Amino acid sequence: MEMEVWPFLALSLGVTGLVRLLPWGTERQRIVASLLVLLAFMCWAPFVLDNFRLFQMTRIAVLGLALLGLNILTGYNGQVSLGHGAFVLMGAYTVAVLLDRKEQLNLIDASPWPFWATIIVAGILAAAAGLVIGVPSLRLSGPYLAIATLAVMISFPIIVRKYGAFTGGSQGLGFSRPPQPPFLEDLISREAWMYFLCLLVLVVMVLLGWNLLRGQFGRALQAVRDSEVAAAAMGIDVARVKVLAFVISAFYGGVAGALLGLISGIVNPDTVDIVQSINYLAGIVIGGLASIMGSIIGAAALVFIPSDAAKVVAKLPILSSDVVTRAPGAIQGAVVIVVMLLMPYGVAGVLHRLARLRLDQIAARWREAPALLSRSLQRASWAWDIRLWARHGPGTGHSPREGVVGRGQGNLPTQQPREDPTKGGQ
Amino acid sequence: MHGPLSALLQAGVFLAPKPWDDPRLFGEQIVLGLATGAVYALVALAIVLIYRSTDIINFAQSEMAMFGTFAMWSIWLSGVPFFSNPWALLVLAGLFGLGFGAVVERVVIRPVEGKPLLTIVVVTLGLFLLLNSVATWIWAQGELPKSFPSPLSVLKAVDIGFANIPQHHLLIFGVGVATMVLLGLLFNYTKLGLAMRATAQNPLAARLMGINVGNMLTLGWALSGTLGGISGALIAPVLSLHPAFMLSVLLYAFAAAVLGGLNSVPGAVVGGFIIGVAENLLGTYTPHAILGPEMKLPLALMLLVAILLVRPTGLLGERAVRRV
Repeated sequence: MEMEVWPFLALSLGVTGLVRLLPWGTERQRIVASLLVLLAFMCWAPFVLDNFRLFQMTRIAVLGLALLGLNILTGYNGQVSLGHGAFVLMGAYTVAVLLDRKEQLNLIDASPWPFWATIIVAGILAAAAGLVIGVPSLRLSGPYLAIATLAVMISFPIIVRKYGAFTGGSQGLGFSRPPQPPFLEDLISREAWMYFLCLLVLVVMVLLGWNLLRGQFGRALQAVRDSEVAAAAMGIDVARVKVLAFVISAFYGGVAGALLGLISGIVNPDTVDIVQSINYLAGIVIGGLASIMGSIIGAAALVFIPSDAAKVVAKLPILSSDVVTRAPGAIQGAVVIVVMLLMPYGVAGVLHRLARLRLDQIAARWREAPALLSRSLQRASWAWDIRLWARHGPGTGHSPREGVVGRGQGNLPTQQPREDPTKGGQ
Repeated sequence: MHGPLSALLQAGVFLAPKPWDDPRLFGEQIVLGLATGAVYALVALAIVLIYRSTDIINFAQSEMAMFGTFAMWSIWLSGVPFFSNPWALLVLAGLFGLGFGAVVERVVIRPVEGKPLLTIVVVTLGLFLLLNSVATWIWAQGELPKSFPSPLSVLKAVDIGFANIPQHHLLIFGVGVATMVLLGLLFNYTKLGLAMRATAQNPLAARLMGINVGNMLTLGWALSGTLGGISGALIAPVLSLHPAFMLSVLLYAFAAAVLGGLNSVPGAVVGGFIIGVAENLLGTYTPHAILGPEMKLPLALMLLVAILLVRPTGLLGERAVRRV
């Protein structure tokens, strides 16, 4: 069975939304069931999507992980970082070095590591880097921090290029992507295996993150974001929380980078460039700050905007189809600006509001709709009448028709409308 | 001693040229550093102007300048008789920046005024992506980088006694310093400059005194657009033109602005010259095997971070006191 990606996404999200909104069970049951349904659909994806779309879905999983990490730092803790890409790149390079080399660091003679171990090592190394950057960042805030992290992001690829003996320079490092384990060989293709690997890691890390963020630590993160002084007064160790936010965020970035390396099989300094790193920040803002779901929505936006939104825009008669191939970033930039102006809480903010709706309540409102409509029509006709009356003044035969508008139903002022102030006093 | 360290020492990895071996080279590095430093100072001034009045860091500053410079390049190629003169182009670059800055402020920045820091940062980053892509779309055809005309020669050098300096670098230095002096005159000796300073210091009080604060903010963006446009046209003959050519300038300018203190105008100028000279010295007089010219940007940025850690508000910046 083959399906296009958009019908597939519409189907899976629609069913998930229905499970979430239909009036059954407790709130908690609805949330868990809808997430399980979504997961089941995502497990079905490799069997219905073509390879290009499947690779896109894989990239969404990887990016979602990276964005979740950035969201922990920026969304939950309020430290604006433009340098998250450096951690991702570092994770990717860790995997490449450990899988590629017979001699790691030109010093140790070792066979390539098992791929699952490299993911963990990548995460831990990135977390260590996060510690190194996080501690000095305590002294910086706001724009200073954004500039300093931008500096880190710019410097990292240059350093990688310079020490080419170890990192492969501009060429980068290539390695063979890990094959599927023996018991899966007959069941799924290499691409599907990569997808499931990323999905599995994403699910595990999202569960970990959810556990972390809903608890005491998550509250502490947000308290520090909202007011450091108040948080300190409540007994929160502000410095510890801020550094930990950096470390955890870097860990997520490192793991995402490891997966990014694994799915592409080659890592070079352009794997994550400065524009990509800026896009991460744009992604969490589009998706929704301080929201796990928002991170993944943001990742989907980052993947689908260049591939699909460009096509939609190219159909506009004023633009030539050049835009599609040459300037996907223009659309991305425009989307970012428009989202910031219209939806300051991102897509996740809108969805949160939608999720609070109950179908029975919506149905009740729809049942009221005819009455509501007729009432507003009545009001409109009354306003139309009073317009004439206001123009021609009282006693000229243009007063509002009394019989048409139902009095005493609470929908109209019962006294006569006051004189039109624009007419002036007598 | 038979460790990896001694092997590195024997291979001469830590060897670096010494400044006193070739005083002429040293002098050239200093003067060239001052010339590029003037450009960094201009861009840093543009950043500081906006930051002082609105607390906004304009991450799109480099791309606005890049966009303007590409527009000037198109005009130069189109061969309109008057504007194909490189001097006129330099003036036109400033005028283009003036209009562009004003338009950006009115269209993009005004709607998010007073929103949280992250919102504004992201909007300027969105502008960055937008301009970068549009420039790639319009101009990145054929060979990159493109060459940009200079009123003087980039290759011909002038002997100024202790160093040979390309004519164009002297021009950069001269125009840069002249622009800064003009800006200083504007701010210190005109009613308009006074109004702008008042707006930056206390918008509410300025409004009560009858200053049109909105117009002053637009003017601030327009002025910083001018500075960006001029610096783009000045540095383009050296760096040559491609869609990312202003990015490294922006980073050095950030370094300069932060070094001097983000809310200090003299700090931006001093910081620009310091960063310009430090960049050249770090590129020349560090061991080439492990650091050297390719690493001058990371080195300069590390220097910046180190200074920030000692003085978080920069050399001349004032400590911001915030009420909680």
